[in-house]
Amino acid sequence: MMRWIWLSIALVAAVAGLLSFGDNYLLRLATTVAMYVTLAVAWNIVGGFTGYPSFATAAFFGLGAYASGIMLVNGVPLGVAWIGAGVVSTVFAAALGLAILHLRGHYFAIGSLVVADVLREVTNTWVSFTGGGMGLNVPLVGGAAAAQARFFLISMAILAVAATLTAIWLSRSRLGVALQCIEQNEDAAQVIGVDTRRAKVAAFAISSLFIGIAGAIYASWTTYIDPSDVYDVSLSVKPIIMALLGGVGSLAGPVIGAFVFLGLEELIWRNSLEFHAGILGLLVVALVLFLPGGLRDLKGRSVLTWVRDKMKGRTL
Amino acid sequence: MLWLQVLVNGLALGGLYACIAAGFSLVWGVLNIINILHGSLIVLGGYLAFFAHQYLGLNPFLFAPFAGALMFVLGFAIQRAMINPVMMQPVLMTLVLTFGLNLFLDNLMLAGFKADYRKINLQPPLGVLEFGDIILSVDRVYAAAVGLALVGALWLLLRFTQLGRAIVAVRMDREAAALMGIDIRFTYAVAFGLGTMMAGSAGALLAAIFPISPVSSGGYLGKAFVICVLGGLGSIPGVVLGGFALGVIEAFGALALGPENAITISFLLLIALLIVRPTGLLGRRGFN
Amino acid sequence: MSTFRALVGITFTAASFFVSPAHAQDVLRIGAPLPITGALAPEGAKLKQGYELWQEKVNAGGGVKAGDKTLKVELVYYDYQSTTPRAVQLAEKLVNDDKVDFLFSPFGSGAAKAVSAVAEKYGVPLLASSASSAEVFDQGYKNLFGLYTDNSTLSEPIADLVKAKIPTLKRVAILARNDLYPLSLGNEFEKSAKKRGFEVVYYEKYPIGTLDHSSALTQLRAAKPDWVIVTGYINDLILVRKQAAELKVGGQVYTLINGPAYQEWIDAVGPLAENVTTASWFHPVLNYKSEDVFGSTKDFVAQFKAKYGAEPDFTQASGSAVGVILQLAVERAGSKDRNAVREQLAKGGFKTFFAPVSFGPTGIANSYIPPVFQIQQGKVQVVFPPDVATSEFRTK
Repeated sequence: MMRWIWLSIALVAAVAGLLSFGDNYLLRLATTVAMYVTLAVAWNIVGGFTGYPSFATAAFFGLGAYASGIMLVNGVPLGVAWIGAGVVSTVFAAALGLAILHLRGHYFAIGSLVVADVLREVTNTWVSFTGGGMGLNVPLVGGAAAAQARFFLISMAILAVAATLTAIWLSRSRLGVALQCIEQNEDAAQVIGVDTRRAKVAAFAISSLFIGIAGAIYASWTTYIDPSDVYDVSLSVKPIIMALLGGVGSLAGPVIGAFVFLGLEELIWRNSLEFHAGILGLLVVALVLFLPGGLRDLKGRSVLTWVRDKMKGRTL
Repeated sequence: MLWLQVLVNGLALGGLYACIAAGFSLVWGVLNIINILHGSLIVLGGYLAFFAHQYLGLNPFLFAPFAGALMFVLGFAIQRAMINPVMMQPVLMTLVLTFGLNLFLDNLMLAGFKADYRKINLQPPLGVLEFGDIILSVDRVYAAAVGLALVGALWLLLRFTQLGRAIVAVRMDREAAALMGIDIRFTYAVAFGLGTMMAGSAGALLAAIFPISPVSSGGYLGKAFVICVLGGLGSIPGVVLGGFALGVIEAFGALALGPENAITISFLLLIALLIVRPTGLLGRRGFN
Repeated sequence: MSTFRALVGITFTAASFFVSPAHAQDVLRIGAPLPITGALAPEGAKLKQGYELWQEKVNAGGGVKAGDKTLKVELVYYDYQSTTPRAVQLAEKLVNDDKVDFLFSPFGSGAAKAVSAVAEKYGVPLLASSASSAEVFDQGYKNLFGLYTDNSTLSEPIADLVKAKIPTLKRVAILARNDLYPLSLGNEFEKSAKKRGFEVVYYEKYPIGTLDHSSALTQLRAAKPDWVIVTGYINDLILVRKQAAELKVGGQVYTLINGPAYQEWIDAVGPLAENVTTASWFHPVLNYKSEDVFGSTKDFVAQFKAKYGAEPDFTQASGSAVGVILQLAVERAGSKDRNAVREQLAKGGFKTFFAPVSFGPTGIANSYIPPVFQIQQGKVQVVFPPDVATSEFRTK
């Protein structure tokens, strides 16, 4: 509990500092961090708590972005559009969940991955509704540049906090217990009377609510979206890497992971114009090979002992 | 005879598709790894063929098996060094691992070979075959033929050689195979190497027809997914059937619903299949 | 997960954000976000080549003359990974952190439009090297200046030529890539065709990444077109031309944009290139005399070839062209003050190696007509406009 209080104070101080002194670029960066915290925490509900490796994050994100964008273009007020996008995303997730959550492991992963592709292609071809490959221009929020930047940071930050609080609440609720049972042994869970189907779909839906709203805020923030941007597979993969980094299934894990990952990414990107993505790839590989449990694997041992342990432990 | 031409187009592409997906299916079926790296490996095979043609004048159709052989070594090494350690980890880990490797390889190629599209221009150009109203492009026929031959060779390998039987045994029951004295690590590495080999050969064949660039890797991966699920994992005949099926479905889909929907159709099909029949047309019950 | 580790993580993150490059005086600093990785990587590399050739040339001569000072040109690059939102973020960074004086746009129309909002917000003149769709320029911005003329200037002249040469021509087929610029161009061709009383018997879009156009082309063939128009990028058009020939798609006129203007395309399709028409904002075969640092199109082409080993295509040329225009504007303004330079840019009248450039009220160039080219005997010939034409438009 104390841990959380300290963390929250630190974060609030950081955000307050940014709002007062940060220039627009920093504000943008912080908004990105808040967005990915939301995505990572939301993913963790399905991937960590429930143990279902979902790659559908990009699908819900893009859906939320377009839903909100189209609503805004048709004159719907901002707040309504954002929440509305979340609702659309949730309904879609529930339907999708009913369709594919009976799959396990690889098949579920592939199914969830492909949904984003399908949505992207549908968005591409439905030109009259979405602008297709030519993209959608989302109406500007209005106001001075600095005020806009602050507004979006606050919006994303509130969303991130809401997602985290929901995750915390979930972990202590009946539903959370059900999800944990599913994660450990789904068949056994069914035997003891857990309605696994309902629990899984509920988790999927709750998760997608936050992802969809994140997409909606994102659309208003960048003011121009096109299908390849908002349905990009990296939106599915990065939150997973962040959760992995921080520790899948834990509460603070995705949050910490998001911060560290984005910090690393920014550092690498600034220092290597040509090959930053490749270096990132190497880092991901290193992460999986050496730190499968996330940063907690480091546990205060000296680097050398730890590497040596890893080498020894490398059998099949 | 429009539909006949369209059918022929689809089948011609289908043969090549089978080669693209064979390696992916093998790795997924035997090692239980979804190899995101597969698309990039195909592109790498394409570059090998391109450079072989440009600097050594080698015909890509003939070079394809050699490209495959070179890639086999690479695949074997990658598996031993990096993938073996995570063999028993959950799906998440292996997917993220291959994703990271893919990111690395793609950008390595981008930095090394530059992003411009390269094209092999065969001199003299191969032309077309004509059967009445139906026209068939010769380079696609060759590609399909060589592709299918390689897939056939793989099948024979799995069926009739000691090594092949070992691979199948490991897939069926790892512990039992180990008890029978099969070197599991070596077998896994070989299986992955074979998967990479098929990818490399497919790439070489593709390079004969299409322009190559690191940015194409994702598209090939997508096709491999659909074909594997369509035809069923763990089955070479399934991959061939899946390849032909996808080629024909895309061709007729484009005809019926317009070309812009061709790709959507294949993905929708994938989802539908996953929901209804994940084992695909010919597959056996896959891993969970 | 200990609190300590968490705080370290956050501090580390925060710290990385503050690493900033040092600044220098008497420098003309230009921000240039580029797609170095991702789907647009080929185009990003080309633009960079254009920028660097110009930079080298200018700095070799001492720099840009701004009144009584001479400014060295400094280009600040960042990779926006072919994703538009990243480009917008980077534009903000370039203006706020790197304190650039001016901006070059990212590649293409979509990203240029998104970044133009940032440029307008901060009052930084933005030169767009590769945006041609009218939608990019419809926001009423004062800081956006586009080198390419509107897409309709690509379709109208060709439609005129075709109508004049073949008065009996009736049926037009259009196949467009489902992407911002090719689709927009396809729409322009549809408009131009209809305006002249042609019948558009086929108009379909193909997805990005299509490996096989046979179905589309088979259907197109069935529509029996006289004039076949296909839009896309070089790799799409190589495929389409080959498959169209294999499938014996008829047609008296073939117009393909963007591809035939490149030597790679001509090499790849061989004899099939014959009589294919295309239009492009620039080609080495042009012959302008200019008041910029290169002196003439011929000289520019020669210098490009000397540095990079091949003749420039229009993307590479546009990279150098925006540099040249900015330089001329700064020189005329006598300073790098943004307001003065903006005024000069708006005035126009730049005689460059690329084309004579002046900007319309929305910022898009309107002072030249992109030449129409036709491949004749394996060589690129200019067939329109008459004052730069090297040959006559012809049909099979």
